[in-house]
Amino acid sequence: MSAASDAGVVVPRFGTRGKAWLALLGVLIVAGLGAWAYQLRQGLAVTGMDNVFSWGLYIMLFVLFIGLSAGGLIISSAPKFFHSKRYDSLAALGVLLSLGCIVVAGLLILPDLGSPSRVTGFLTSPDPRSPMVWDFGIVLLYGLFNVGYLWLLTRRDFAKMGSWLAFGVEDTPAGRERDRKFAFWAAAIAMPLAVGLHSVTGWIFATQIGRGDWFNPLVAPMFIMKALVSGLALLLVTGILVDRFTRFRFPRELVPELGKLLGIFVAVHVIYLVAAERLPHAWAAHFEFWSITRAFLVGDTIHFWLWTLIGGVLPIALLAVPSLRRRIKAVFVASVAAIVGILFEGVYLIFTGYHDLNIDAAPGVTTGTDYTGLEADIWATTGSYTPTIVELAVAVGLVAVGALIVTLGLRFVPIQPNDRTPVSAERDETTATTADPVATDGGADAEVAGDA
Amino acid sequence: MTDYGMVIDLERCIGCNACAVSCSQENNVSLDKQWNRILTEGGDAMDTPEGSYPENGRDGTLSMNHLPLACQHCDNAPCVKVCPVNATYKRDDGIVEIDYDKCMGCRYCMSACPYNARVFNFDEPKTLPTDGTGNVEERKQGVVEKCTFCSHRVEEDLDPACTVACPADARIFGDLDDEESTASRYVEKYETEQLLDELETDPNTYYIRGEMSPGRTRSGNELEGTEKKAVGNPNGVATDGGDGQ
Repeated sequence: MSAASDAGVVVPRFGTRGKAWLALLGVLIVAGLGAWAYQLRQGLAVTGMDNVFSWGLYIMLFVLFIGLSAGGLIISSAPKFFHSKRYDSLAALGVLLSLGCIVVAGLLILPDLGSPSRVTGFLTSPDPRSPMVWDFGIVLLYGLFNVGYLWLLTRRDFAKMGSWLAFGVEDTPAGRERDRKFAFWAAAIAMPLAVGLHSVTGWIFATQIGRGDWFNPLVAPMFIMKALVSGLALLLVTGILVDRFTRFRFPRELVPELGKLLGIFVAVHVIYLVAAERLPHAWAAHFEFWSITRAFLVGDTIHFWLWTLIGGVLPIALLAVPSLRRRIKAVFVASVAAIVGILFEGVYLIFTGYHDLNIDAAPGVTTGTDYTGLEADIWATTGSYTPTIVELAVAVGLVAVGALIVTLGLRFVPIQPNDRTPVSAERDETTATTADPVATDGGADAEVAGDA
Repeated sequence: MTDYGMVIDLERCIGCNACAVSCSQENNVSLDKQWNRILTEGGDAMDTPEGSYPENGRDGTLSMNHLPLACQHCDNAPCVKVCPVNATYKRDDGIVEIDYDKCMGCRYCMSACPYNARVFNFDEPKTLPTDGTGNVEERKQGVVEKCTFCSHRVEEDLDPACTVACPADARIFGDLDDEESTASRYVEKYETEQLLDELETDPNTYYIRGEMSPGRTRSGNELEGTEKKAVGNPNGVATDGGDGQ
């Protein structure tokens, strides 16, 4: 492959490490498909769900991946909306991540269905009252929008590469200028779309009167905020990793800057919104000052602590100190912790809905999964859930699909054309293709090294 | 219009589970689930009271009651509103029913129902005998199911199996839109509650608490607007345990 033709593609070809990565993803996807086939034959009985705890890992991860995707797009399109070029070098990567995540989120619904072949009902007999129909619509719209937006951001570079993916678009200065205007309008659509996507997903839960704390107007704003947290954190994690392993350049000065922003997002989410949600309940339910304080500050489940300590206290501690957040490792750890925290926030949300029954008199509800014989105890008065190996295998397989999409995007989509410096809009076509641009920022070009 | 509903007199209910058994029989319900459950309001276990045993004559505080619970057939049914594919719907006669050929098994309705009235076929249903019981076709793996007020019986002008099976006349089924129906007269005369009424689901199931109704055979003509319909089609099979008098 000539140097000119892979300009802007950060992985010009897969080296041994790249191939090993693809092989790993392939194995995970095949294992996931196998597990799903097994689940289709045996029924959802092979999951940890039952009639009391009727949504499990698939929905928890659906919520997480919706968040990861909405955040990525907001981060990459908001600067465009304000005509800032500072984050241009991250825009295409952000949209690529959004695309990967929204595909994973959409696919996660399929194994959750008892009769997935009837999913066409969304199109043939939808009920417009159902928040799930709203979500289906906006996930679809959002996924398609991401494809279009990514193409808009990269089509001139596709043209420059001579790729058929340019679909006849020419690489001209005037054309690039026009695309910049289109990108502004696309960003103007992207942001409300992303806000809508996350709010609607929140409303799937927030409209439900029957599941305890789900019925809470704060859920949708919480979802927006956790999209900002997890989306930005994922962009940082992926950006740092891709910088490490490919020719992609994550401008170094952006790391502490985005780290600071992530710290603010985490603080708004885990400190402010959680306080706003819990304080009124704690105040109303208790009388003494200290019992109010206790009810306000002290959570009652492990998921709450995993969320607020790992996903809140740890990242804030790492990102609040300027000398710490200038270290890439600290920002990386904080971002991973923030994503883990957001995962457990979703787990926490599901558990708050299913743990207690509204009417919990004995013997309770028939679980639908525990029949072993005539003397079996099929009853439960509280919800409990542990995901099974089958669920984990299916979920990991679907996450691998997302990773594959991002990996192939890095290989075939010019997400970082030229040696684009973050603040300059200059496109010097001669410097891009010659030297390895990664060397300056401390990242190593693993693929090239592997091939040499 | 018709608006089918049920009145359950909690003071008459003796917790015998006959309605639950006849429901499972009639509707071919798998052994790992029940559409109709009899809960014990009292101790932590089924059929146990709360409070303390009278040690010194009259100082005991034991109390126990039973609460039969199935689909409440709400007017503002959350399960109907959440179903993305219109598989669960409110019929014109007030019955909330599921189209098992449309249900894709997303279980959103199970999250929506505050009464946990819905059950899901996590795997193939298990019945004894294995080819099923009663008069309703078996539901497949991967769909949600629940009480239908025995719509197949109601359509043949019969009361639901649970109503017929109740030995204490604690269940009265009828048309709530018909002021002359027995069910309407009970709702009119007795103090009734709708479960979790603060959630505004507006169930078509009413529970009598406090004052016991006299029971249908003793209530005389005053409350007997429409008679109990135990057996209809003389050529049909009596599956409800009724003797077809």
